[in-house]
Amino acid sequence: MKCVILAAGEGKRMHPLTFTRPKVMLPIANKPILEWNLINAIEAGIKDFIIIVGYKSEMVRNYFGNGQRWNVNIEYVNQGRAMGTAHAIGVVKKFVDSFIVLSGDTIFGKQDIENIIQNENSMGLIKIDNAEDYGIVEIDGNRIVKIYEKMQRPFTNVINAGIYHFNKIIFDFIEKTKKSPRGEYEITDSINMMVKDNEMQGVFLSEWRDVVYPWHLLDANEEILKKINKHIDGDIDKNTMIRGDVIIGKNSRILSGSYIEGPVVIGDNCKIGPNCYIRPFSSIGNNCHVGNACEIKNSIMFDNSNSPHQNYVGDSIIGENCNLGAGSKVANLRLDKKNIKVILNGKKLNTKRRKLGVIMGDNVQTGINSMMNIGAIVGNNCFIGPGALVSGELKTDSRIE
Amino acid sequence: MCGIVGYNGFRDANNVLIDCLKRLEYRGYDSAGVCIVGDKLQIFKDVGEISKLESEIPDFKGDNGISHTRWATHGAVTKDNAHPHVSCDNKIAIIHNGIIENFVQLKEELIKKGIKFYSKTDSEVIANLIYDNYKGDLKQAVTNAIKRLKGSYAIAVVCDDEPNLIVGARKESPLVIGVGDKENFLASDITAFLKYTNRVLYLDDGEVCIIKKDAVKIFDEHDKELKKQIDLIKWDIKDAEKSGFPHFMLKEIYDQPDTIHRVFMGRISEINRTVNFHENIENLITKDINSIHLIACGTSYYAGLVGKYIIEKLTKIPVIVELSSEYRYFGTKDENSLVIGISQSGETADTLAALRQGKNSGCKTLVITNVVGSTATRVSDAYILTQSGPEIGVAATKTFTSQILVLFLLALKIGIIKNSIGVDDLYNYILDLKELPKIVRQILDQSKNIKEIAVQLKNAKSIFFIGRGINYPLSLEGALKLKEISYIHAEGFAAGELKHGPFALLTNITPVVAIVTNDLTYNKIIANIGEVKARGPQVVAIADENDTEIEKHADFVIRFPSKSSILSCIPITVILQLLAYHVARLRDCSIDKPRNLAKSVTVE
Repeated sequence: MKCVILAAGEGKRMHPLTFTRPKVMLPIANKPILEWNLINAIEAGIKDFIIIVGYKSEMVRNYFGNGQRWNVNIEYVNQGRAMGTAHAIGVVKKFVDSFIVLSGDTIFGKQDIENIIQNENSMGLIKIDNAEDYGIVEIDGNRIVKIYEKMQRPFTNVINAGIYHFNKIIFDFIEKTKKSPRGEYEITDSINMMVKDNEMQGVFLSEWRDVVYPWHLLDANEEILKKINKHIDGDIDKNTMIRGDVIIGKNSRILSGSYIEGPVVIGDNCKIGPNCYIRPFSSIGNNCHVGNACEIKNSIMFDNSNSPHQNYVGDSIIGENCNLGAGSKVANLRLDKKNIKVILNGKKLNTKRRKLGVIMGDNVQTGINSMMNIGAIVGNNCFIGPGALVSGELKTDSRIE
Repeated sequence: MCGIVGYNGFRDANNVLIDCLKRLEYRGYDSAGVCIVGDKLQIFKDVGEISKLESEIPDFKGDNGISHTRWATHGAVTKDNAHPHVSCDNKIAIIHNGIIENFVQLKEELIKKGIKFYSKTDSEVIANLIYDNYKGDLKQAVTNAIKRLKGSYAIAVVCDDEPNLIVGARKESPLVIGVGDKENFLASDITAFLKYTNRVLYLDDGEVCIIKKDAVKIFDEHDKELKKQIDLIKWDIKDAEKSGFPHFMLKEIYDQPDTIHRVFMGRISEINRTVNFHENIENLITKDINSIHLIACGTSYYAGLVGKYIIEKLTKIPVIVELSSEYRYFGTKDENSLVIGISQSGETADTLAALRQGKNSGCKTLVITNVVGSTATRVSDAYILTQSGPEIGVAATKTFTSQILVLFLLALKIGIIKNSIGVDDLYNYILDLKELPKIVRQILDQSKNIKEIAVQLKNAKSIFFIGRGINYPLSLEGALKLKEISYIHAEGFAAGELKHGPFALLTNITPVVAIVTNDLTYNKIIANIGEVKARGPQVVAIADENDTEIEKHADFVIRFPSKSSILSCIPITVILQLLAYHVARLRDCSIDKPRNLAKSVTVE
């Protein structure tokens, strides 16, 4: 049984984080989203993978290689022209018989993958609250009747989870699929044609984490950190406090006065402390520095970034190679406690979160005592001058004084 | 210039090849064709754009094939001349970019062996030469065949009997290999396949490669297999048409070693010590010519001014350079004068009108253009192609140097006919020409230094360019390039003229770019620099690498390699282009599309 993972997309709704990496390579709990899927699929018994790559394919290829590190066999196929999910799956026609397809940017559980494997010609379903944002699935018992694209007033809260078990028949329908109104070949259209004469089973999933916008990384991060077990490789000084499940990578040093409250994961070669406070659901990448009088809470810090002195970072994402100046702080809660709205790619969006700090791209430098307001989005390579206030969306390569 | 693509993989080759060809459309687009290896070779080709090919092509099945887009430099734009070309038994199909110089001899040889030909192209000769060498191993046949070829080529070959592979080879024309997953590519340019893979292998001159679905093999000219390192391309598809350069103008500046080579390739013969043009052109150049009129606009006009110095020096015939819009109404038309129009696009309305005027007055007319089939090629008695490939940046760069070189070749030809040039001189000029691409590469390597000097100029309100002799029109061109893309006011002056007026405008904040060559005016130009320095401005000198004096006089010096003084106009031009480019870049100007300007001016 081969597992085809769709990993070609750029993830425009993840800007600015995906300007420099494909969506599936965004880190959650210090591993790319794609790796979590890979691990779960391996645990469900899969040994052969085909990863469909496209946007910045070399990053996926360099990280996963031929799969030796996981004791599995990984092959790659480049999607070429990005023309939708049906096109992406159509590309592997010559390499598969009965196969699993999963969206590389959605995290699926091991048990659910196993259930899908056992049902040839099936697809994963999940019940959610905000079904209007997804493909709605009409079912008759367990049988798929039709998949509808986004509906304003969905008649059910059962949606398409983005995991499938197909056999060769699907390719006949992929070939017949026409472009959708948004100009792509959609696998849901192929499935709708197929289920007219071929039975397809719906399998309800127990776990499902969809990652669309940057702040969803924080939710996914929290879910995964809840499952981790304590594991310490680094050096811990005297007079530090490490509570709960904390992972500390190789060559990382935790200096005196640091207070770490799990679940927290800290990568390799980090310098943490002295005298800092790292709160639950924080992931700190490799080669990072969190220094004196800093507080990090429910945040993701990518590799090679520093929060060296007197910083508060809450409910935030800090990209690679960032440096926060002394006293740079992040606001993460509105004074009126209302949900936070952000501007992303020029569009105003309700995050439905009460707490959200900054989404910061790569190579950002902030000056001393600069302030990032709630829901600020800072593009790559920005310079934020001393004492500056950042609100709304700051485009890549901006400077504010 | 043509574009070629080969694909061997798991997708429908038809779709992939056409998709890739579209990315090469910038290399040319007058005809296109594909060959898909299925049960037999399936070929479709036609005149027109690639989108036309796409809509008309039959639904060929197969996952191995080759395709070609043509931009005629030789021969008419016809379906027969479009690629792929097949061998006489229809079993071997090839696509070719380049020019085979000895194809006439090879063709005669093959005809003697009883092989029939259906087109007049040099490419069909390659197909049959491979057929003639084929003994069941396509790679071996190609290896043997290319040993016989003189000239330049990038070829991709497929064979009915070996449906699982493509064989490629190159010499002096570009060919790169794209290494994919379960699929591999071959193309003139990375742009073609970048959507499918960003891992490439570069093929060097004389090498042969085999492209299979799951393997690529490269062999050197001695048939020894080579292991090459795969390169990862960092730029993405949006930058691709510019081959990774930030602007078309810079790409085109960097194209010049190739475009220069293309101008003289096939036209000069080192062995026979002569220059050859098409017979239409040779018929025009007779001993009776007593003067030459060069008519053109804009940058082409400056190429004409440079040409005047070259032609007069080599042929002793007087040359009158006129702006097309002036010549048309006011120029003297003499029946014994050869009128040469210069137009990159061949559609410049002023030049077309002037040419028609000249022709109506009984003059012989010749056109130097970059576009096959353009109006200018039809209104004139004969035409010479610069073969520079499409130029997209509005500021002309590679076509300017090619125009000068065409005029240089013409001057040599007239010199030969008029007996005004000695055999040894001619031989030296031919050798100097062949050195030019290398010299231009040396200039391009200096781009960083030129950028540093551009920093000194970027805030100027006005800049003077000065030179004497052939360097005077180069000063005009240097000033034109700078003003059209950086919007800094710039003027070119004959250095001796400064004191007759322009000095009134010279202040200590007007930088001066001086072109200094080691000729009989050397001391004069040094004196002119002295006059300039006395008024306080900074002087940037463009000088010969052996000039040890110049540092004493100028604030900054950009060097060009010492060679024939007459051909140093080419490296100097490239320096001026890079200088203008870097100044405009530092000023954040819209380099490829300057305000108020159009590439081809079709209004009078």
